[in-house]
Amino acid sequence: MSVQTEGTDTAGEPAVRKARTPGPPRGEDRASGSPSGSRGAAAPYLLLLPALLATLILLGWPLVKNGMLSFQNLNPRQLIQHLTEWNGVDNYKEVLSGSDFWHVVERSVVFTAANVVLIMLLGTLVGLLLARLGKKMRLLLMLGLVLAWAMPVIAATTVYQWLFAQRFGVVNWVLDKLGWHSMADYNWFGSQFSTFSVITLLIVWQSIPFVAINLYAATTTIPRELYEAASLDGAGAWKSFTSVTFPFLRPFLYATTFLEVIWVFKAFPQIFAMNEGGPDRLTETLPIYAFVEGVGNQHFGVGAAISFLTILVLLALTSYYLRMVLKQEEDEL
Amino acid sequence: MKRSVIGRIWPNATALILFAGFAFPVYWMFATAFKPTGDIISENPVWFPTDVTFGHFKKAVDADHFWTLVANSVTVTVSAVLLSLVIALFAAFALARMRFRGRRGFIVTFMLAQMAPWEVMVIAIYMLVRDNDMLDSLVPLTVFYAIMVLPLTILTLRGYVSAVPKDLEESAMVDGCTRTQAFVKVIFPLLAPGLMATSLFGFITAWNEFPLVLILNKDIEKQTLPLWLSQFQTAFGDDWGATMAASSLFALPILILFIFLQRKAVSGLTDGAVKG
Amino acid sequence: MKRKLAAAIVIAGMMVSVAACGGNDGKDSGKDAGPDSWKGQTLTVWTMDGSAPPQWTKDVQAAFEKKTGAKLKFEIQKWDGIQQKITTALSESNPPDVLEVGNTQTPAYAATGGLAELGDLKQQIGTDWTPSVSQSSVYDGKQYAAPWYFANRVVIYNKKIWAKAGIKGTPKTRDEFFKDLDTIGKKTDAEPLYLPGQNWYFFDGLTIGQGADLVKKDGDKYVSNLGDPKVATAMEIYKKYAAYSKAPKDKDEATPQQAQVFAKGKTGAFIGMGWEAGTAVQANKAIEKDLGYFTIPGATADKPEGVFLGGSNLAVAQGSKKQSLAKEFLKIALSDQYEGELAKLNGVIPNKQPLETNLKGNAVAEAAAPAAAVGGTTPLIPGWAAVENTPNPIKSYMTAVLNGKSPADAAKQVEGEINKRLAQQN
Repeated sequence: MSVQTEGTDTAGEPAVRKARTPGPPRGEDRASGSPSGSRGAAAPYLLLLPALLATLILLGWPLVKNGMLSFQNLNPRQLIQHLTEWNGVDNYKEVLSGSDFWHVVERSVVFTAANVVLIMLLGTLVGLLLARLGKKMRLLLMLGLVLAWAMPVIAATTVYQWLFAQRFGVVNWVLDKLGWHSMADYNWFGSQFSTFSVITLLIVWQSIPFVAINLYAATTTIPRELYEAASLDGAGAWKSFTSVTFPFLRPFLYATTFLEVIWVFKAFPQIFAMNEGGPDRLTETLPIYAFVEGVGNQHFGVGAAISFLTILVLLALTSYYLRMVLKQEEDEL
Repeated sequence: MKRSVIGRIWPNATALILFAGFAFPVYWMFATAFKPTGDIISENPVWFPTDVTFGHFKKAVDADHFWTLVANSVTVTVSAVLLSLVIALFAAFALARMRFRGRRGFIVTFMLAQMAPWEVMVIAIYMLVRDNDMLDSLVPLTVFYAIMVLPLTILTLRGYVSAVPKDLEESAMVDGCTRTQAFVKVIFPLLAPGLMATSLFGFITAWNEFPLVLILNKDIEKQTLPLWLSQFQTAFGDDWGATMAASSLFALPILILFIFLQRKAVSGLTDGAVKG
Repeated sequence: MKRKLAAAIVIAGMMVSVAACGGNDGKDSGKDAGPDSWKGQTLTVWTMDGSAPPQWTKDVQAAFEKKTGAKLKFEIQKWDGIQQKITTALSESNPPDVLEVGNTQTPAYAATGGLAELGDLKQQIGTDWTPSVSQSSVYDGKQYAAPWYFANRVVIYNKKIWAKAGIKGTPKTRDEFFKDLDTIGKKTDAEPLYLPGQNWYFFDGLTIGQGADLVKKDGDKYVSNLGDPKVATAMEIYKKYAAYSKAPKDKDEATPQQAQVFAKGKTGAFIGMGWEAGTAVQANKAIEKDLGYFTIPGATADKPEGVFLGGSNLAVAQGSKKQSLAKEFLKIALSDQYEGELAKLNGVIPNKQPLETNLKGNAVAEAAAPAAAVGGTTPLIPGWAAVENTPNPIKSYMTAVLNGKSPADAAKQVEGEINKRLAQQN
């Protein structure tokens, strides 16, 4: 839920850190950095313990349970009577042998890619614009961004339904007045493409602020000297962007893209509440598909299998970044 | 380098248009909520609610147990955010400031945890909670909401912790503080804006959550506001006035919180970086 | 050490608070030993939003508490996600004791084993239940619920617009109705009829009117019968109606709420439930005096159009530990006195024919009642409930036909999905 909303940057920070703290000798993995000696060896693990335990119990346990359910025939009868009926890989066979699943995977990937590209591109542009604006205008634009960002997803989705309502919706009215009369009574939720357009607009609208505001915050940390040095070298606006700004922001952009991929891929209330995956199930992405098959149709075992496959697809989508993190992290600190 | 007049105008003009684009849906929500039904379902949109009515709000607030749900939502949301912040702070400190075997592994673990598809795990969670006799209670909601936001909270806080210059901490320790004292006296105050900013994500996630509370808590005394909001969409169908009034009421606390905390957070972030 | 301690405290705190709220049930899990044990117990009854009027609830509660000495707690349920809620609730150790279940959903829940068998109750109080409304609660030859109330659609029309078009009286046959709609279209600037493409229960009524079945038996399992020519005929009738409307072809009657569209006073008529008239009045007070109702006319004047008899049954959860108390509640709530009161207050059709006298003077109910006799439901098989889950493939079928597909082709397009859903139970 509530994907594109979160208060800060995950990633403006590595840049900040690199700029200021010289890295330690690499390859050293011993616990140290604490002057308190050998007692400190266990400290990091103790500090991590609550988080790990909480994750293990509250996320790991449901995940394992979900995994077990995916090998069971679980419908209302079994749920109500507390019956456990193992059925091997039947659920997976059912899901994978149908064509539905693969269509949904394809659709989810395209949908995610389109949204993330739009969000990153426009978000970056708005962020750079923020950096160029005077104080008053910046505050005004910030306010607009924060309003969009802070809208609770359920409320935002409802508002978009209302904006795009066929009758009395303000969007159709405006399009009609602009001379596009065929749009006067246009039904936005009647076709796959138009429904996705509205959903995309909603998601992009709510996600840009996160990227833009954090990118702006990150640009303010770029040391002035770098630009001065660049302009001494005769660099123009574009050159100083590609040689100073962009390299500086790269880690931020990577991390944000990673988060946006996850958030867009997992987007649930926006799509479900907008048109319940319709028309004709044509806007179901993987999470919606899993929910409709599992919870909606009360075919819980199949739903569990789909959700498991959903995780696999998401892992595949983000594997590039995760691998990069695994390699990169040893250089940090 | 002197910029032309156009060069000075276009950023401002673009900013104005963007502001309108971003703010309009929020404005339209509030505007619709205050308009009488006749002005809402109207062939020509009424841009400003001239004939203001509070009827829709009354209808929204008059729903059964409204205030109980408000209290529950606030309790669950605040507790979940605090819980996740506390747990995350420990972890973030370790990940940002210490070197130890498996550190990368932990970071990637939390990144993976971030991907959990909660909506589709509701039945598994339901069965666990049911079999532990904890239905109709705010506690499972609180801890599950906390864990939903924990991974991102850790990863974000890690950034804030490492943005606090290390020499500050070290000089405190030279002055005779233990590491714990150094943390409490030096790092924690500097982290405050970061903590606030991080908490926003938690607030909005917990405030919005719907599928889990729907099946875990059937006792209306233990339900939360998203259930109330969704009833307007179904029970009243296209009663846009009441729906928008309910949406406005639902969104308002988060909007206020964001405007308040976000300014602090951004300025905190930039200040910290500049003064470093 | 402090750090370790702090961590331990956090964890311990979580565990304690987690454990502290465990023992919620059990407090009223008294053994069911008949009337002697009733005193001090609390019976929980789930009714759907809008089903039980406050007056009725109050009266039944007073009567019940007086007779049994036990407490009665009504909990009103919202429609959103109700299936998940009922399914999960029935699996709990402390389920609601009595619950309202939609008549089309009842066979599915009966098949899950979540509902208690009520054969003895039927013997005691239900021998004269109207068969057409009682049959939905019978599964596998056993009674799993008691019929509570029913309702069907009528035509709600705007008298002013009809008068403006010069129409006198109300149509008695479908052709007369079409002619009247033509007249309105020609003589006024109003939309003759508001009928969105997915008013699926109206369509179900038309199939009942044609004597069509939506499912058929194939060996030992049920499969879709949507391709049947009788279904196609029903759909053609629907299409003819829809041609009088500008309503969206891919929406149902709730989006937008058809009564609110009607309330603007620019619509000749719509097909809806009686309570929707109230919604219209709420949106526009001025419409109240123009409201009129008539039975949906059939092919001939002597037989109204088939209608979907929507309604609700009351069932007892198998897992309830208060079976005898729950049955006592049903005896009181479904007694002629309170069943009659409900019919009167809500204008709904009661579970016994003689009680229909309570509908006298209620214009909507008087328009609805004649059709109830020829009413029907959706197929009463456990697998059917899944078919109606969102996204309902029959709604897709309707939209496809209205958009120009032939009924046969449209049926082919969705039958796979219907069969999948019919097959998926158990």
